[in-house]
Amino acid sequence: MEEQLSLIDLVLNASITVQAVMALLLAASVASWFMIIQRIIYFRHVRAEMLEFEELFWSGTDLAAIYNEGNERAAAGETLGMENIFRAGFKEFSRLIKQGGVDTDTVMDGARRAMRIAQSREEEKLEQHLPFLATVGSTSPYIGLFGTVWGIMHSFRGLANSTQATLATVAPGISEALIATAMGLFAAIPAVIAYNRFAAKVDVTVGRYDVFADEFSSILVRQTYALAARESAKAKQA
Amino acid sequence: MSTLIPRSVIVWRPLVATLVLHALLIVVMTMNWSSRSQVTEPTVLVPKHIQARLIDAEMLKPKKVKKAAAPPAKRVVASKPVAKPKAATVKSKPKPVPKVAPKPEPVVVPQPAQPSAEERRAAARDELSQALAAEDVLLEEASDRDIASSYVSLISQTVQNNWSRPPSARNGMEAELIIQLVPTGEVVSVTIARSSGHMAFDRSAVNAVQKAGRFEELQQMPPRIFERSFRQFRLLFKPEDLRY
Repeated sequence: MEEQLSLIDLVLNASITVQAVMALLLAASVASWFMIIQRIIYFRHVRAEMLEFEELFWSGTDLAAIYNEGNERAAAGETLGMENIFRAGFKEFSRLIKQGGVDTDTVMDGARRAMRIAQSREEEKLEQHLPFLATVGSTSPYIGLFGTVWGIMHSFRGLANSTQATLATVAPGISEALIATAMGLFAAIPAVIAYNRFAAKVDVTVGRYDVFADEFSSILVRQTYALAARESAKAKQA
Repeated sequence: MSTLIPRSVIVWRPLVATLVLHALLIVVMTMNWSSRSQVTEPTVLVPKHIQARLIDAEMLKPKKVKKAAAPPAKRVVASKPVAKPKAATVKSKPKPVPKVAPKPEPVVVPQPAQPSAEERRAAARDELSQALAAEDVLLEEASDRDIASSYVSLISQTVQNNWSRPPSARNGMEAELIIQLVPTGEVVSVTIARSSGHMAFDRSAVNAVQKAGRFEELQQMPPRIFERSFRQFRLLFKPEDLRY
């Protein structure tokens, strides 16, 4: 008989319930790691795009030029983050201006509303998968614990049936049951860390979107008043 | 400026990274991390009362050439190096060799032998001291080995004293244990390297080592020997007092 207990043997000899728990936890771990890495890539990309767009925006280029420059990519659905907010606001603004005769407050309200909608869409994109990470982080220790408790229950029941009660009859069962807890913790710890980190990142990014939206709307206000002044001057001349 | 993240980056890269990570983890977990050292020590010490050692023929060869070069008159010089090793060692038969060798020589080399009776003597002395040094190294190694094996026998004695014989143990059973020690003599871990095929016996052997717990004598051991042979070593557990 083999004395050495290998991990594989333990897992293979575990009861069905414990095995199911282990499989579930492994799947959770794989999925959460997939999402963690994907989020890391996505956030990095979003951040790079944001910085690039901010630079372009504050470079003094004409707003209409920036808008037109992004037309093609917007049609292909390739714009991202801050640029989307800018496009939504500017589009609404120019539409309302074109209609003419609309007063300044209405124009600004419309533009702000459009930007808010775009921003909440962006937030949604940023927060994608985060609830899953939170769920894995908070529940997988419990799932693992359930597997452990079940496994220990099982092995103690075996102990009750055997005539000669030694530690050796329960030890393998407990050992295999504890693997479930280990796996639960293994799945949970990175998920919790990643969730906290990503939540903070989302906050920072959304904060920057807010600031941008405010700054942009102040520019738009200036422009609306300039337009209104020009129109009233025109009306006076006529 | 902005492009959408390509599918290969946002889907495949995380997927591959995740799978690799988990595969690695599983491999690491399932592999047993027991490092196998090849230190196998003899368990039985055969006491050596006389330190006798053969001198290799190679060691003597250069000397023989010298001797051969010398004319028979120089026999006195030649016999000196022979005499010395005799005191310390048991000699293989170097004597007949010089006797055979000189005979063809005198025809060819009366001249080169001439210039350096002193030199040759010095050279012979050098040879001798070199041979002695080499021999010292060998002797030291041998004594290390002796010390190590005396400690091994001490340890195995202690283990056997602490051993409680399981009723099912039979004669001829032996198990090989890997014992890890620290310089204070404490046992860090015991594992079975080669089972006797009998679980109770194996367990009793491991228990015996654990019961011994600490081999205080190891504290007096030179650290060099400890590091070389006792940090982790294999002990052949083969109790002698089995009755059946």
